[in-house]
Amino acid sequence: MSILEVRGLNVWFDLPEGGQLHAVQGVDLSVERGDRLGLVGESGCGKTTAMLALMGLLPPNATVSGEILLDGVDILADGERSIRPHRWVDMAIVFQSAMNAFNPVQTIGRQIREPMELHGSARGAGARRRTRDLLEMVGIPASAAGRYPHELSGGMRQRAALAMALACEPRVLFADEPTTALDVMVQAQILQRLVELADEFGLALVMVTHDLPVVAQVCDRATVMYAGRMAEHGTVDALFHEPRHPYTRLLFASTPDLYGDDEVLSIPGSPPRLDQPLVGCPFAPRCPEAIELCAEQQPAWLPVGEGHLAACHLNTHVPEGAR
Amino acid sequence: MHGSVYLAKRIGLAAGTVFVAITLNFILFRAAPGDAVSNLSRVPHASPQLKEALRHEFGLDQSKWEQYWLYLRELAHGNLGISFADQQPVSHDLGVAMGNTIPMVLLGTVIAILVGVLTGTIAAWRRGGVADHLNTNVAIAFYSFPTQWLGLMLLILFAGVLPTSGMVDEFAFNETWWAHVQDVLKHMVLPSATLALTLYGEYTLIARSAMLETLSEDYVLTARAKGLSPGAVVRRHAFRNALLPTTTMVALSLGYVVGGAILIETVFSWPGIGRAVYQAVLQRDYPMLQGAFLVLTLSVVLFNLIADLLYFRLDPRVTE
Amino acid sequence: MRLVRERPAAAAGAVLLALFVLMALFAQWLMPYDPHQQVGPVFGTPSTAHPLGLDDGGYDMLSLIIQGGRISMIVGFAATLVATVLGGGIGIVSGYFGGATDTVLMRITDYFLVIPDIPLMIIIAAVWGPSLWHIVLVIGLLLWTGTARVIRAQVKSVREQVYVKRARSVGASHTRIILRHVLPQVAPLLVANTVLTIAVAIFDETALAFLGLSDPTAISWGTMIEHAFARTAVSAGAWWAVVPPGVAVSLVIMACYLLGQAIEDATNPRLRVSHLARRAFRILPSRPAASEAR
Repeated sequence: MSILEVRGLNVWFDLPEGGQLHAVQGVDLSVERGDRLGLVGESGCGKTTAMLALMGLLPPNATVSGEILLDGVDILADGERSIRPHRWVDMAIVFQSAMNAFNPVQTIGRQIREPMELHGSARGAGARRRTRDLLEMVGIPASAAGRYPHELSGGMRQRAALAMALACEPRVLFADEPTTALDVMVQAQILQRLVELADEFGLALVMVTHDLPVVAQVCDRATVMYAGRMAEHGTVDALFHEPRHPYTRLLFASTPDLYGDDEVLSIPGSPPRLDQPLVGCPFAPRCPEAIELCAEQQPAWLPVGEGHLAACHLNTHVPEGAR
Repeated sequence: MHGSVYLAKRIGLAAGTVFVAITLNFILFRAAPGDAVSNLSRVPHASPQLKEALRHEFGLDQSKWEQYWLYLRELAHGNLGISFADQQPVSHDLGVAMGNTIPMVLLGTVIAILVGVLTGTIAAWRRGGVADHLNTNVAIAFYSFPTQWLGLMLLILFAGVLPTSGMVDEFAFNETWWAHVQDVLKHMVLPSATLALTLYGEYTLIARSAMLETLSEDYVLTARAKGLSPGAVVRRHAFRNALLPTTTMVALSLGYVVGGAILIETVFSWPGIGRAVYQAVLQRDYPMLQGAFLVLTLSVVLFNLIADLLYFRLDPRVTE
Repeated sequence: MRLVRERPAAAAGAVLLALFVLMALFAQWLMPYDPHQQVGPVFGTPSTAHPLGLDDGGYDMLSLIIQGGRISMIVGFAATLVATVLGGGIGIVSGYFGGATDTVLMRITDYFLVIPDIPLMIIIAAVWGPSLWHIVLVIGLLLWTGTARVIRAQVKSVREQVYVKRARSVGASHTRIILRHVLPQVAPLLVANTVLTIAVAIFDETALAFLGLSDPTAISWGTMIEHAFARTAVSAGAWWAVVPPGVAVSLVIMACYLLGQAIEDATNPRLRVSHLARRAFRILPSRPAASEAR
């Protein structure tokens, strides 16, 4: 049923001065056809790294463990070798700064055709035609195919990046903060288009973002991450209205400014260092509701409702004096 | 700015620089204080007729401004004066000298570019590994060796095996053109090799830096995400982009190579323009010095222009 | 030290350079023999008494090397001082004031850049006469352009920073701003550039000495190479007269290059991750039982 299922994903980065940074700590994920999942959290919480890991787009100083099941088969088993065949045809990605996602010395059209010809989806005239169709589908004129990236505006480039991602008809589309660098009106339009296309093609969409209005607009479920770990997972509705983790409460409970693109988070303090092993709950030092147990023991990842999970002691321990 | 406007601008700038160079040349040699330099009629052992002819031609008894005008006029006719040393027209001597220098320098620089770009790319590709450290440090070492010393070292090593001075064997009768070419080539090995070794290190470092820069660009990650093999990513995306700064920097450095060949030509007694400059200094042959200096300056301007044009051709963003 | 671990190249360069400087400073006490005195036959071979052999005049090569380092490095440092002061000054003025001043200064810099260094140095040295100070000035007058360009670029970006603008609005004088705000920001880059320039200056000194344009009575590594060449050390098979001065120069240039490059890298912390390399990321086989708390 699920196209993509991730179990126990861990990513470590070797540090130049020795030691390792544990950037992603035991992340699970599951998406089916038509799902729209958000990965939410502050910068540095590991959401982008986790997503890149799913396509094996990590640098050589990274170490990965866990299972990435595509149609039930673990594609992480052989690392780069077993993941590479699935790139673009099964899983594609739209990056944050499409500015640089395109090679400046090649035309847009050529770069969109490249994966088609590489994976055999289309060739020559057929590929050109398909490129034009894709461009029109994302809302830019087909003539953009003959242009160089610097000749397009930021918004057009991002749409072109989307067209490129759809070139081989993937089943899962990853989006890494796809509209952060754009102005709000363009942002809204592109997100709208993204959702429409995802519906039209039955794509599973996984979007990394720190921008809550975007989550509200695009996703039906979301996983909140903190310090490399999952804090809470559930439907966007549940996260907004029945958050079961203090971090989620702080994130979602505040009324987001729908047309603002500031970071809505203003929680005092900063996330813990990930190059040292952590005792207890990573959010404890900043948590306004922390109890003694929080600093001593890591909270377990437990269900708190239908399709709703969280890692917080407060869900299993009632503090003295409450109720 | 449209492409042709850019071209016109660069060519115009180069022309302007040429003019300034010509003028500076004049000032340096004719207008500078000091009798020895500015008095071109003091050709050693010159006959009175020659002195008279020179005086007339270069207006040596007239004001500096008149001399400047005459200088420009003669320059336009390709007249650079008479060499003190052999009483021949400077332009002729320079022509011969350049004809000797260019093949030797060409061979050395082509090898240096090929080896440099290759080792630099490999070093970047295997960054942090043995291949990287080895290539990089060897490149730095050769870059640090004084050119003339490197030439002497090669001399010591190959003294018995290869000819060590001159361009041809003066005692051999090279009857056929092919025999002559072979003789020249044999003599060219050591000087060109010295040039190649002294130059390539810089190119390695340039190429490595450009490739590393390119490999950290986002479109490389995108290419990888599309499922291209690492080799294909480098071939189709990284290399072409890394070539851009590499090409321009190499082209720029070439402008100075001819001047730098002075040391090599001195060590190996290669009768090129470098050696001509050196001998002109020794013999106080000022017209020759002035002519040679002008040619060398022009070569720098020329290669700067070539670098600009290459950049224009390779980078579609330039017409912005 | 962390420096040694993180940047071994820089540490090696710094140590090497320091050693040579010390050698030059304490030359008088380090030399085993008087470098101006004949202590054996012409081109005497290396022996335990004279580990580097003797040169074309029968002088001890080791002593010559130690003594020669003084002149070579003094000329190198002095010329660099000229270049740095001139180039740094022009770069700062040009970058800070911008506008017409900038354009004019940059045009002049461009013209200087176009002139081929070595031929010009040869000509000026030949015309002025062989003397160490002439050499220093000539090298310095040609090397300043590189420094000027680099510093100008840096100053331009510093000028745009908020605190500089704030100082201007408060009414601080230009001199004050330059001295107190711009200079400290630009200093590391200037240092890196200076060190790299020293390498070029020493190289140029050997080149000019080789062409007979330096003071013939002075002992420098450059003149040693020239003597070896002019007095047929090569045909005499006396490689020991040729190798040591070249090695010494190379080591100093290498040291400067490594150190200068490392400083430059440190001031420019552009942590760019390479997205591609031959090696791929590693896989840890995951254990069936979850290792994380569930």
